[in-house]
Amino acid sequence: MKTARLLITLGLVVALGMVTGFTASPAKQVLHMYTALDVDEAKIYIEAFEKAYPDIEVKWVRMSAGEILARVRAEAGRPGASIWFGGPSTSHIAAAREGLLEPYKESLAWQYLPAEYKDPDGYWAGFYTGYIGFVTNKEFLEEHGVEAPTSWYDLLNPVFKGEISMAYPYTSGTAYTTLISILQALGPEKLGWDEEDIDYIRKLDAQMHHYTRAGSACVTEVGMGEVAVGIAFSHDILAKGVAKGYPVVMTFPKEGTGYEIGAVSLIKGGPEPELAKVFYDWIMSAEAQSLFKRWYRVPLNPEAELGEGVVTAAEVPVIEGFGQRIMWYGEHKDEIVAKWREITGK
Amino acid sequence: MLNIGVYLEETRSELGRLLRDPALLITIAFIFGLLFLFILFPLIKVIQFSLWPYGEFTPKYFIEFFQRSYQWRPLINSLIVGALVAIFGTIIAFIYAYGIARTDIPFKGFFRLIATVPIVSPPFLIALGAILLFGNHGVITEFFKLDWDIYGLPGLVLTETLAYFPLAFMSLEGVLSKINPELEEAALDLGASKLKTFFTVTLPLATPGIASALLLTFIRSLEDFGNPIVIQGNFPVLTVQAYLAITGMYNMPLGATLAIFLLVPTLLIFTVQRYWISRKSYVTVTGRPPTGGLRATERHIKYPLLAAMILISSVVLLFYGVVLFGSFIKLWGLDNTLTLDNYRYVFSVGGQYISDTLIIALIATPIGGLLGMIIAYLVARKRFIGRGIMEFISMLNFSIPGVVVGIAYILAFNDRPLQLTGTALIIILVFIFRRMPVGIRDGIAQLQQIDPAIDEASADLGAGFYRTFRRAILPLISPAFLSGMTYLFVRCMTAISAVIFVVSADWQLLTVALLHEVDNGDLSQAAAYGYVIIGIVVVVIILMRLIMKKIFGKGLTLFAQE
Repeated sequence: MKTARLLITLGLVVALGMVTGFTASPAKQVLHMYTALDVDEAKIYIEAFEKAYPDIEVKWVRMSAGEILARVRAEAGRPGASIWFGGPSTSHIAAAREGLLEPYKESLAWQYLPAEYKDPDGYWAGFYTGYIGFVTNKEFLEEHGVEAPTSWYDLLNPVFKGEISMAYPYTSGTAYTTLISILQALGPEKLGWDEEDIDYIRKLDAQMHHYTRAGSACVTEVGMGEVAVGIAFSHDILAKGVAKGYPVVMTFPKEGTGYEIGAVSLIKGGPEPELAKVFYDWIMSAEAQSLFKRWYRVPLNPEAELGEGVVTAAEVPVIEGFGQRIMWYGEHKDEIVAKWREITGK
Repeated sequence: MLNIGVYLEETRSELGRLLRDPALLITIAFIFGLLFLFILFPLIKVIQFSLWPYGEFTPKYFIEFFQRSYQWRPLINSLIVGALVAIFGTIIAFIYAYGIARTDIPFKGFFRLIATVPIVSPPFLIALGAILLFGNHGVITEFFKLDWDIYGLPGLVLTETLAYFPLAFMSLEGVLSKINPELEEAALDLGASKLKTFFTVTLPLATPGIASALLLTFIRSLEDFGNPIVIQGNFPVLTVQAYLAITGMYNMPLGATLAIFLLVPTLLIFTVQRYWISRKSYVTVTGRPPTGGLRATERHIKYPLLAAMILISSVVLLFYGVVLFGSFIKLWGLDNTLTLDNYRYVFSVGGQYISDTLIIALIATPIGGLLGMIIAYLVARKRFIGRGIMEFISMLNFSIPGVVVGIAYILAFNDRPLQLTGTALIIILVFIFRRMPVGIRDGIAQLQQIDPAIDEASADLGAGFYRTFRRAILPLISPAFLSGMTYLFVRCMTAISAVIFVVSADWQLLTVALLHEVDNGDLSQAAAYGYVIIGIVVVVIILMRLIMKKIFGKGLTLFAQE
């Protein structure tokens, strides 16, 4: 049975490869993570965590929040990761509603977080907030003799036609937050779509240069001058645009803007529930959240240090009652996005 | 009736032969099992998910495809890009091939080398180059103060033409060099002008080659994923939409449906190419080999042609040059100081990606190479029921767009009992079954040139299937074995379209890391990733070349098969 021997050898080679691959560092416990933070930023926290817990190794994949939600849905019951780190609470809410998350009320964070920054049943907890703003290329403004947009309607100015970039609201948490900010800014009293919103989105779509998958991608595009205006979170604009030295300026719409509660949650059925809790508690600590200043994020732990130049609620025209509406928009994410796709055809 | 009787008799004797060699029987069964599981079964899943998404038949997703403009528009866009890329790519390839195969211009080796660069590098490095050259802060845009937009249709056509003309060139060179110069000379001697000879003799003889080049570039463009995802802008193409449907929405039925709309035109064209054009081949047959070779080319033809070829190769060099330059730049478009930081970044942050990619490539390469040779041996030498089917299925994944293969694998292996998603195995399997056909085809071709008496002698001396294969066949077809493995290895390093669906937290690939950097706008770091990949590929190819030279006394013919 020489063939059998050949086949067994083949099999052994595969198996050996698998084994050596999987047990590259046998001494360490592995925590699998999905993160919606930028690769460069996620690295800061993950490296700090691994330093604080030298026996834990984090294996992580970066995806946009919508992509993580989609992945967690598809893997329902046997997820490839134990913890979902970052991304607006809206995506976590949608997942919690479908029973894809595990509550964690015992977390220390639970005690200090005000009610608006955590799920009433403990399915997710916020660790930072960020505001939707505009990032505009200064050279473009000088060249065309215009001011940076300070109103949602300024984006419809013909000078910006084909010069705006944002992400797809279904892949990106940033873009979904942008979308619900528009819906609420144009009509703070109502929830969801009305005629004015539909008309506005149609016109805004006509101004777009293109859509990206990742919410923060437009900041670099604006910095490089590939497009004139991007719509993104304030911390990403500061970290990836202003701080890098790109000629960009950040502005906010006067009608009001929305914000995200950046959240962390435990994925139900994840392979390492206990390790996930270790990370969960760590990211809620003042020590971890003091690192946020490197990415201009606003920490939610009151004892964490606030970075220089960080944008807080006091400096931004926030839409009235936006915080109370986030939950609803998380629960109705699919319908809101479906309507957007129908209008824009994207 | 007689025919049936003869057929039955033959079948029985085939069965008898098989039963006498159980090792052979087991091997055939085992390979059929593999082919079914890793090629047919995933494709069946695609069809199942598109038409029976929840167990019951519904044409809902197909109807929606035609109703919603955002569903069908990308298909039209893909076809438009494909047609333009096919036309431009084939024209450029013809000039290039004509120059190399039919004239006596200098620097042929150099031109040929340039044409292989896009083939052995990750496809979307060209798109990255396009942004660095023609983007708003691009070198050329700034230098000439241009106001244009590279994203969308123009960028897609430009990048894909550059990426895929080399394939058309290789197939055209083969056809053009087989045209017997005596035919052209006969026309000239009979008084036809050089131009008339070209149009009435050379071009008609090259027509089947041109048709295949057109179809080949069309398909490559249609299934391209790397360039569009970087540069499609507001001109969505089908591969990227199918990717978004799966990873952005996890809408499996929609992704499967889009995959089918990508699959149908590709398979259609492959069928046309394989069974229609390849039969119309006008290889000129003479009793004796062509003598005399090429006549010296007239200067008024030679120099414009040379100029055109220099222009084409300069454009290719420009794209790869700007990416190389970009990989040493601190912050593209802003801070142009030279630095090695990007490479430091790749080797520190990307170290894990480099080792993951190498581990996967080093496992996939020998297994895929060996499996390919076994299949080639079975198909070329053994008579058994289903031999033609085995050849067909084993070559199938080669003609299927990578995005479809990726979607098929995620649909088929995301559930128990065959849950492979998240493992290295699924990535390895994608590489093996998608890239093995090149080795199989080479192996079959080489076996056809070897006298079957050799394996018969081995069998007569009492060697079984395995022993014959290892001791008699494998040494004889080792050039195919090595080139098939080199091809597989290179593709493990450069491919993205299929594997992007199956990478996971545990197993990441360099090409995917490169794409993340582009997504993030970190173009310099992306460029550094690109050159690390190219570096690894070049080292491996040079090593393989040396080995081949040492053992067989001849170099490596790579990728001419694609």
